[in-house]
Amino acid sequence: MTDRDAPPAAGPIRPFEFPSVAEARLGNGMEVRLVSGAALPVVTAMVVLKAGETASPAGREGLAVLAGNALEGGTTRLSSRELARALEDIGVGFGASTGWDSTTVAVSCLAEHLPGAMPLLAEMVRSPAFESGEFERYRAQRLATAAQRRMDPAALAADAHARFVFARGGTYARPVGGTETSIGNIDAGAAHGFVAARYGPLQAALVMVGDVAEREALAVAEAGFGDWHRAVPPVPEPVASPRQRERVVHVVHRAESVQSRIRVGHLGVPRSVEDYFALIVLNLVLGGSFSSRLNLNLRERRGFTYGVRSSFAPRRGPGPFAVSTAVENAVTGAAVGEIHREIEDLVEGGPTRKEVEAATSYLAGVFPLRLETTGQIASRIAEMTVYDLPDDYYRSYRDRVGEVTVAHAARAARRHIRPAELCTVVVGDADDVVPQLEGLAIGPVTVHDTAGGSSAP
Amino acid sequence: MLQIEQHVLGNGLRVVIAPDRATPVVGVNLWYGVGSRNEPEGRTGFAHIFEHMMFQGSAHVPTNGHFHHIELVGGSANATTWFDRTNYFETVPSHNLDLALWLESDRMGWMLPAMTAEKLENQRQVVMNERRERYDNQPYGDWDERVQSLLFPEDHPYHHTVIGSMEDIAAATLDDIHDFFATYYIPNNAVLSVCGDCDPAHALESVRHYFESIPRGPAPPPLPGTTRIPLATGGTLHSDVHAAVPLPRVYMAARVPPFTTEAYYAGEVASSVIGRGRSSRLHDRLVRRRVAKSASCHLLPLTTGATMFLVVATGFPDTSAEELETSVSAELDAAGDLTEAEVARAVIGSETRTLRALQRLETRADLLSMYATLFGDARRLNEDLRRLRRVTVDEAREWCAAYLHAGNRAVVRYLADDGSRARPATSAHGESA
Repeated sequence: MTDRDAPPAAGPIRPFEFPSVAEARLGNGMEVRLVSGAALPVVTAMVVLKAGETASPAGREGLAVLAGNALEGGTTRLSSRELARALEDIGVGFGASTGWDSTTVAVSCLAEHLPGAMPLLAEMVRSPAFESGEFERYRAQRLATAAQRRMDPAALAADAHARFVFARGGTYARPVGGTETSIGNIDAGAAHGFVAARYGPLQAALVMVGDVAEREALAVAEAGFGDWHRAVPPVPEPVASPRQRERVVHVVHRAESVQSRIRVGHLGVPRSVEDYFALIVLNLVLGGSFSSRLNLNLRERRGFTYGVRSSFAPRRGPGPFAVSTAVENAVTGAAVGEIHREIEDLVEGGPTRKEVEAATSYLAGVFPLRLETTGQIASRIAEMTVYDLPDDYYRSYRDRVGEVTVAHAARAARRHIRPAELCTVVVGDADDVVPQLEGLAIGPVTVHDTAGGSSAP
Repeated sequence: MLQIEQHVLGNGLRVVIAPDRATPVVGVNLWYGVGSRNEPEGRTGFAHIFEHMMFQGSAHVPTNGHFHHIELVGGSANATTWFDRTNYFETVPSHNLDLALWLESDRMGWMLPAMTAEKLENQRQVVMNERRERYDNQPYGDWDERVQSLLFPEDHPYHHTVIGSMEDIAAATLDDIHDFFATYYIPNNAVLSVCGDCDPAHALESVRHYFESIPRGPAPPPLPGTTRIPLATGGTLHSDVHAAVPLPRVYMAARVPPFTTEAYYAGEVASSVIGRGRSSRLHDRLVRRRVAKSASCHLLPLTTGATMFLVVATGFPDTSAEELETSVSAELDAAGDLTEAEVARAVIGSETRTLRALQRLETRADLLSMYATLFGDARRLNEDLRRLRRVTVDEAREWCAAYLHAGNRAVVRYLADDGSRARPATSAHGESA
C-alpha cells in the first residue's frame, strides 16, 4: 500500500464557533451569562464569586478556601445532611472550589431538575450556616490536607518553590489553602465575616450552560438570586514581587526518596499580560506538550523521567513560571542542568518557525475539543468574569492565536523568561543530590527540612 | 440514545461507528483484548511497557511521530493499560479522521520494523520512573500491590498489578516485544470505535482502506493461572503497613461478581448507597461524624472470575487505623438494610453521572469499545443507560449479604506510626503512556 508512506491529507474543515452567550442582568443587577443548548439533556449552573484567596486577611490565610468548602456544610434552613440529600435525591452533582482569584459554586444535573437545583445553589451561596460543629469538621479536613502536603513530594516542591520565588509576605508566597498555623486561626465567625464582606451580587456572575431555554433559565435564575442584595467592595489586587533577582537552589531533604521532584522557574506574568497569546505558544514549545523541547529531551532522548511540563500560571497578579518533573536520584544534577540549558537556549535563540507553526496549529485545532461538556463551557465563561475578558474573547481566540509570529514568541521569551533569575527547588534525598547540584553553578545551595527549617549543606 | 452501527472486517476487526455531528470533532478508540491479566510469572508490567512502545513509531511513522502528528492538528491522544485490556485513543478535529486511522492502522499492522533495543531501553527507563513517581516515592503508592496480592490468590491473573515489579520491567527484551505483538496485537483481538462528527458510510470506507489488509492472527492463548475463584476470601485477611504516611488509611476489598454478570448491576447500586456522594452511608456516618477525612467506595468493571469492591477511608492524624477499620466494617455489616429511598438516589445519581460523562467523545468511544469487547454488542451501552432502574431493593440487599460479610474481606491498613518512609494513592485506573 504505497499510500501509507505519508500522512493522509485532511478533509474539508467544518467551521466551529464558541457557543453564543446570552447576557442579562437580574433585578438586583447580578450578571447572568447563558448558553442555551446542549447535545444531551444536562445543565450546569455556576455562581462565580470574585472572592478568592487573594481576599483572605493576613494571619487567616486559607479563609476563602475553607469558607468555600464549608458552603457545602448546610444552610440556615437545611443541615449538611439535608442539603446533600435534597441535591442528590434529584441526581445533582455539586461542589465549591476556590482559587487565588475566585470561588465557584456549581451544580450539574439533568435539565429537568434545574428548577429543583437552582434554589439549593442559591441557598448555599446566600445563606450558609457555618454551624460550629460542622465548620470544625471542614477546618479539621483542611488541617489534615496541609499535613498531607508535607509528605507529598509534588506538593512539597510546589509549596517550597512558591516560598522561594515570591517575596515574603506577598500574596503567592504561601500555599493557596493556607498553612497549619493560619488555618488554626480561622473559626466560623471569620467565615461569616468573609462571606458578608466578599460575596455579593455585583461582584459575582451566574453562568448557565445546557439544555434549557433562555426564558426558563432566566426565570429560575431570577427566583434564586434576583432578590439577593449585598453591596461588597471590589476584589483587592494581589501583591507579588520576586524574593531575589539571583539564581538560587533550595533542596528540601526528604530522607530515602528514590526520586527527586524538581521545580525550576521564577515570578511569571499576570493574566492581563499583553503577550498572553505569544506566551501560550512559547510554553507549548518549551514544555507544554508531548512534543515539547523539554519532554523530547528529558523523557524521549534521555529516559530521565515519566514526564516534564512547563507552565505559566497567570493570575490577577503574576503567578509562577515553572518547569516541573520527577527524576531518579542519580540523574538529578544532569536533569536540572538540561532544564536550565533548554530555558537558556529558548531565550537566546527563540523558537523556530516550525515550532511556532506547530503550536498555533495545535491551539486552533484543540479549541473545540476542550468545549465538550457543559462544565467546561461554564468554566471558560466564568473566566471572562474573573479576568474581565472582552465579550468577543472566545469568539476571536483562534484569530488571536493565529496572529502570533516567530518574532512575537521570541520577544515574549526575552521579556518574560529570565535565566539569570531561575530558582531551582529539589525535593529529594539531600545526601544524594546536593553534590550534583553544587557542581552546576546555578546558584548557592541551601538545604531545608520538610517542615521549613534550613541548614547549610 | 446513541445511533450505533457495527461491522466486522474480513480480518476479524470489529468496528463500531456512532455518528454525532453536533461539533466538528471525532473520537477514535481501540481496545485490544490484552492487559496485565495475560502476563505470565516473571513478565509482570509487560503489557504496559508494550503500550509505551506503541508510541515509538512504526514502519511509516517516525519515533514520536504519533504524538507529533496528532498535536500538529490540535488533537489529543493517549493510551492506558489495565487488567483486561489496553486502549489507544485520539480525539481530533473531524476533518483529520483519516490521520488518526492511518496512525492506528500503521502500528497495528507495521509496528515491528520500527522496534529497536535502544527504544526499548529508553522506554524501560521512562516506565521505571513512572513506577518511582506513582508508587515508590508516594505515600500509599503501593496500595494496589498490597490489596491485589491479598485479595486474589497467587495463581489468579489479578494477583499482580498493571505496573509490575522493577525486576520484571528490567527483564523485558526485544524478543518479548515481537512475541507479544504477534500474539495479541492482531485485528481479530481488537475493537475500533469511531464516534462523533463523521458520515458513517465514509468512515467505514476509510476504516476498510487502512485496516483491511492487516492479516488476521491465530486466536490468543488462554489466560495464565486460574481464573475461577470462589467469591469469598474465607475470612478477613489483614496486612498492616508501617510507613511514614501523613494520615492513617484503610483499604477494605471484597471479591464480588464480575462486570459481565447480571449481579453486577445490584452491586453498582449497593456500592453507590454505601460510598458514592455526600448522602452515602460512608460519607454520612464516617466523614460527617469526623471519624474519617474522606471515605468512598469503588466497584471496578473487571471480568475475570471476580472483580474488586473497594472502600478507601482516610483518617485524621488522631484517628487510629483500628478505629477506621471498625467503622468501615460496621457499614459493610449493616449494608443489607439499605432502603428504597437510598436505592432511588443511587439510580438517579448514576444515570446523571453517566450522561454527563457521555458528553465527552473520548469517554463515549471508550465505552462503545468496552461494550463491543466484553459483551459483543456496543448497543448494550444504550440499554444500560436505564438498566439500574430495574434493580430492586431486595436484589441490592441480597448482594450486600452475599458478598460484603466478614468472610470475604482483604484489609490493608496504613498505620501512620513510623517515620522511616513516606509513600498517596494512585487511582484505581490504568497506567497511561
